[in-house]
Amino acid sequence: MGEIVRSYYRKVVADFWDQKTVVILLGILSGLYFGAVGVVWAVTGEFTRWGASFLKLIGVDLSPYTYLKIIKYKGTILTRIDGVMVLGMFAGALIAALFGQNFKLRIPTAKRVIQALVGGIIAGFGTRLAMGCNLAALFTGIPQFSLHTWFFTLGTIFGTYIGIKITLSPYFRGEPKLVKASEFNAGNLKANTQIQPFLGWLGLIVFAGILLSRPEMPNILKLATIFGFAFGFLIQKGQVCFTSAFRDLWLVGRTTTLKALVWGMAVQMLLTAVFIAKGTPAKVLWAGPNALIGGLLFGIGIVIAGGCETGWMYRSMEGQVHFWFVGLGNVIGATLLFLLWDKGLYKYLVEPFPKFSLIEHFGYLPAIILTGLFLLGLYLWADLRELSGRSMIKNKTMAVRRV
Amino acid sequence: MEEKRYVLDLRGEPCPYPVVYSLQVLAELESGSLLEILADCPQSFKSVPEEVVKAGYEMAEPPQKIGPTLRFLVRKP
Repeated sequence: MGEIVRSYYRKVVADFWDQKTVVILLGILSGLYFGAVGVVWAVTGEFTRWGASFLKLIGVDLSPYTYLKIIKYKGTILTRIDGVMVLGMFAGALIAALFGQNFKLRIPTAKRVIQALVGGIIAGFGTRLAMGCNLAALFTGIPQFSLHTWFFTLGTIFGTYIGIKITLSPYFRGEPKLVKASEFNAGNLKANTQIQPFLGWLGLIVFAGILLSRPEMPNILKLATIFGFAFGFLIQKGQVCFTSAFRDLWLVGRTTTLKALVWGMAVQMLLTAVFIAKGTPAKVLWAGPNALIGGLLFGIGIVIAGGCETGWMYRSMEGQVHFWFVGLGNVIGATLLFLLWDKGLYKYLVEPFPKFSLIEHFGYLPAIILTGLFLLGLYLWADLRELSGRSMIKNKTMAVRRV
Repeated sequence: MEEKRYVLDLRGEPCPYPVVYSLQVLAELESGSLLEILADCPQSFKSVPEEVVKAGYEMAEPPQKIGPTLRFLVRKP
């Protein structure tokens, strides 16, 4: 009996979870989140507001920047739905990492820090140009039946390809160090991380305590915090790296994550379709070159950085210092975008183009069918790429240093 | 004949480098070599063994997780 309980505990609390299951759960939760809270699961709008708050703090007058009105910049991180949701995500990811004894401060080399910052800035800029990241313009965006998400996705597919070329370039790829050994390290690998699951449980109690001890906090913010917690917990447990969905497909024909995302979006679409029919307004944005260019920059940036806007969130909570810089880069990139928005970006790349809703243009059922076909297309493309057996890692892609 | 043994320590490297480096190094090794790979990017726990097997190598032992450290033992047939 004790053994059964222990093995069950290990499976549920300590181990990673099956990625596809997790992504389908995320799809269901994001659909419900949209229905319950009325906004899509998204994070980069909030990052932009952090950049704005910082500029305000150092005395910059924010009134001329119209982008901040589009993303409804007001209040503080604790009074905004996106704000508390993002905090919930950090808490969930941290506790999931502690449960699995995955927390470890990993200090990056200077080169990787540059890579993280530069990639983060490019991705942050691109994502806000397109009005959303791997979430609002892809995973939670496609199920909103907004055409701009298709442009963004196509941009991302090409962007990740370019990103890999840069990542594998002589400057960034580095040199793996191969050591000839008489002994393996198997016996010497010890971990003093047994305390982590206890800290995780403690953190969970603190998290619940904070929510329970704030009767003045509106229910909608509490709900958003709890959803955020679940999102963060799940992406860490399932290691849901959106970057890898496209990158690893190009790189080695790995389809696991992209296929999981397609499933998650398909399930989610059925939920959002119900809520939209019931009257929740869908999030529809400009289907202009901004979405395509934004997706392209986003794709390039996330591969250089090694993670996208949700990827850095859970990895930073695992103690991967590299991804703290990706996050910083994202905020800088998003800030640059809102500063430049009125300097021509909006006028030429956004304003002339319609907010194109598939539902409004083609009707309710055709919109569902078209979106379904788009998802099927992604799935089949992944399969074809895998079957072709093509890989971007060639012999002699890099020198191996033998020691 | 004794099999040649190598260690590839990728602790600290973020994705996708663990997969890229592992495949690259395995491509250069002599047939019959055993390679121990150490990593600590959690995603590698699934991606490295799966991609290594897909590329035609064998996992000599099941993937191990010691706290945050991941260990893979791969044989090049």
